[in-house]
Amino acid sequence: MSIYDKYETIIGLEVHVQLSTKSKAFCSDATTFGASPNSQVSIISLAHPGTLPRTNKTHIHSAAKLGLALGCKISPESRFDRKNYFYADLPKGYQITQDRMPICVGGSLDILLKDGFRNIGIHHIHMEEDAGKSIHDVDPKYSLVDLNRAGVPLLEVVTEPDLRSAEEVDAFMTAMRQMVRYLDISDGNMEEGSMRCDVNISVRLKGTEKLGERCEVKNVNSMKFARRAIDFEVKRQIDLLESGGRVLQQTLNFDPVSGTTSPLRSKENAHDYRYFPEPDLPPVVLDENVIRELKATLPALPKSLYQQFVHEFKLSHDDAVILIEDRDFALYFLGNTQQSKSVKATANLFINKIRPWLSEHKKSIADFPMSDKQIQNFAKLIEAEKVTASIAYSKLFPAMMEGKKELPSEVAEQLGLLKNTDSSELEALVDACLAANPKEVKAYQNGKKKLMGFFMGELMKMSRGTADPKMGGKLLREKLDIRY
Amino acid sequence: MPKYTSISTLQADLRAGKITCTELVTYYLNQIAQHKNLNAYVEVFAEEALAQAARTDQMLKENPERVGSLFGVVVSIKDVLAYKDHKVSAASKILEGYTSLFSATAVERIVAEGAIIIGRTNCDQFGMGSTNENSVYGPTRNALDPERVPGGSSGGAAVSVQADTCLVALGTDTGGSVRQPAAFCGIVGMKPSYGRISRHGLLAYASSFDQVGILANSVEDVALTLEVMAGSDAYDSTSSTTAVPKYIKQLSFGRKAKICYFSTAINHPSLSPDIKAQTENLFDRLRKDGHEVQALDFDLLEYIIPAYYVLTTAEASSNLSRYDGIRFGYRSDDATNLMETYKKSRTEGFSTEVKRRIMLGTFVLSAGFYDAYYSKAQKVRRLIREKTLDIFREYDFILMPAAPSVAWKVGEMSDDPVAMYLADIYTVQANMAGIPAINIPLGKGKDDMPVGIQVMAGIFKENELLAFSKLLCGIL
Repeated sequence: MSIYDKYETIIGLEVHVQLSTKSKAFCSDATTFGASPNSQVSIISLAHPGTLPRTNKTHIHSAAKLGLALGCKISPESRFDRKNYFYADLPKGYQITQDRMPICVGGSLDILLKDGFRNIGIHHIHMEEDAGKSIHDVDPKYSLVDLNRAGVPLLEVVTEPDLRSAEEVDAFMTAMRQMVRYLDISDGNMEEGSMRCDVNISVRLKGTEKLGERCEVKNVNSMKFARRAIDFEVKRQIDLLESGGRVLQQTLNFDPVSGTTSPLRSKENAHDYRYFPEPDLPPVVLDENVIRELKATLPALPKSLYQQFVHEFKLSHDDAVILIEDRDFALYFLGNTQQSKSVKATANLFINKIRPWLSEHKKSIADFPMSDKQIQNFAKLIEAEKVTASIAYSKLFPAMMEGKKELPSEVAEQLGLLKNTDSSELEALVDACLAANPKEVKAYQNGKKKLMGFFMGELMKMSRGTADPKMGGKLLREKLDIRY
Repeated sequence: MPKYTSISTLQADLRAGKITCTELVTYYLNQIAQHKNLNAYVEVFAEEALAQAARTDQMLKENPERVGSLFGVVVSIKDVLAYKDHKVSAASKILEGYTSLFSATAVERIVAEGAIIIGRTNCDQFGMGSTNENSVYGPTRNALDPERVPGGSSGGAAVSVQADTCLVALGTDTGGSVRQPAAFCGIVGMKPSYGRISRHGLLAYASSFDQVGILANSVEDVALTLEVMAGSDAYDSTSSTTAVPKYIKQLSFGRKAKICYFSTAINHPSLSPDIKAQTENLFDRLRKDGHEVQALDFDLLEYIIPAYYVLTTAEASSNLSRYDGIRFGYRSDDATNLMETYKKSRTEGFSTEVKRRIMLGTFVLSAGFYDAYYSKAQKVRRLIREKTLDIFREYDFILMPAAPSVAWKVGEMSDDPVAMYLADIYTVQANMAGIPAINIPLGKGKDDMPVGIQVMAGIFKENELLAFSKLLCGIL
């Protein structure tokens, strides 16, 4: 057993979700990503003397929606606080956040691991504003500041220390991204910085209760970095403990270039942010009616869809996971199963053809060329064995993608793709197939029964795929076993 | 030209053609020049005011029915109120060269009703002071005795009315900054309920205390100006949506008032005997007129000042963080990196008193001290507020002096900040509780200097407060 196996890793996350609201958290400035630097800054964003913040309803409602989706307790009254520190990208000299009375408390998120779901506790969710961006590597002499992002609304989701590995962190971030996309409150895009996380890591000997001293790793802005940062930091802490050292509580910076963490500041030098209630904003009040209305707007959520797909539709775990990945895709699939008996065929169509087609063409499900009616007809053709699945996928699907207006059943007929169930025609084909392969027939009859697959393949080739596999197989067996 | 002391008289004369607006503004500009030694103004908008006066005259001639309710009213604004395309500095070097890109809602509303802004007035830096000596422009002097201070922080505002350089002055009041200078200068000065007037465009000192206030010669003028400025504002989430009454139409107080005062206040050792005597005389007079005047025990009086300074400095330490030398205002020339820019710009830009309060506020919010200071002060504030509001369930008004003494000599208070803080003892309660309060000139005290009486009323009871104040003016 390696020394590393003696230890258990304990991880808690602070996930920052940048919301896709039209305007900023405390003023009406636009929030468009990629706008030219400092073009989305009003006197309020710039903290000009005499300006005051005002709340953004979408910010508050997004927080409540995420809270409801994660089963949090929604505070009927929450409060904004100021977090004070000086930095060039923080115009007011303080960040408006929620410290003591956050909008959502408790709750949990189910993350998907190889062996099923695991429930990760949420400590709380609070609202805050983003800072601007400081850019240190463009100008040789100066740091540049872009305040477009200053004041963009964020939610910070703080987990319980329930995560145990980099894989679980990955799964958590994936589930969180999926959730915010389902709720349509953020694009959840880590590459554009719409989702970032700070990772709190500690280790303890397996079997012990007491949590070890933790380090907070900042600047983790991709899943790849998160994995590397965690792996590095866990090893560092264990090595330290094993060599008789002590882990010091500190804030670490992750350097993606070297793949290492380095101290940003120690506990002793930790910022004193001097939080206090934001006097410019009244408490955020959410009455029961508003909460009820928000609850009513929630879409079907990933876990309930998963359960429906697996338990009601009898789909496999893997299929269900793929189907729920994207909200619109999942709901579209669900819509197409409502009046259909061909759920399995529909699922296969979505997983094997529609999803790859969408990703290849970089389109969303809304732009998919087939209508609901066409999709349902398509699945029914396969389920009713009117067309073989392979022909349906290889010939009929591409034909439909050309934008055909007719039903797939009509198209299949036009193209002669319907299954050949005419037994005399099929019998002739079987005879021809056997006649063309006398060596294999002999081998089969001498006991090499595995060759049945070969004959089926040949039969399909000769029929250009239209032969009904069931009937073809039956005829082949009859002729091989009886006539010869 | 006669000294105008009422908007309605002035407007009647303007309408009757007895005087033109241009003549009026010219007169005031002349008055400003004559009283330059008082240092009441930090900038005079002479050309603009004359141009606006000419437009008002023309409108009176051509469209007299279209003039706003404040037509012809010449107003000075304290140098902490933003006025689009005009400089604003909070009497601090830190805002050197800064021009505001927008107007405070209060300013915008009076301008929309025809008021003429004649200039911005001197004050204590960021409203921090009780003497108007804490200004980068030097002290403002009391027109009745230039050796004395006008009070503060809205000292320039008070003197601008006192010296007849305008009809109405806008000030701000965080702990008495409108009422105390009004008392020292012998004029009317009112702080409305918290949230009654938008703070949008008011350069914040302590956000949960700051209010725009009005200084004028008469209760009527305060009432009309308040009516124009009051009301909710989307740019200030703490502004109240409570309906704004027609104050000017509700100025007759037709019943007998239930009044109380605090024995602790009237017997306070810091209260000068002449003011005490005058205040007690007033109580007797009111009793004689059939009003009920009761003494109450208010044992929290001693806690008001400490709690107030903990809370206001805490908020100030954060509110003033935006003055960092980066985006606007003063930036030190010899800073070579970010940290130096902050340190040097702020060290050079803020006055000693402002820095004292920033440091005090930073301290009381610090880890390890928060509970002992800030948190405790919040509790004291809540107690004071609750107790004060309780009193208004029983009584219509609380009366007490506006200040414990008459105006000090210039320089008298500069060595002892705590003594100066303690002089706010009578005015701070209204800001702690968020209630409206007004100073009414009571008479002359020591050295023939003015003495004021302060009236406080329940939250959003400005209509009653103003009506009773008018009654008081009638008997004084």
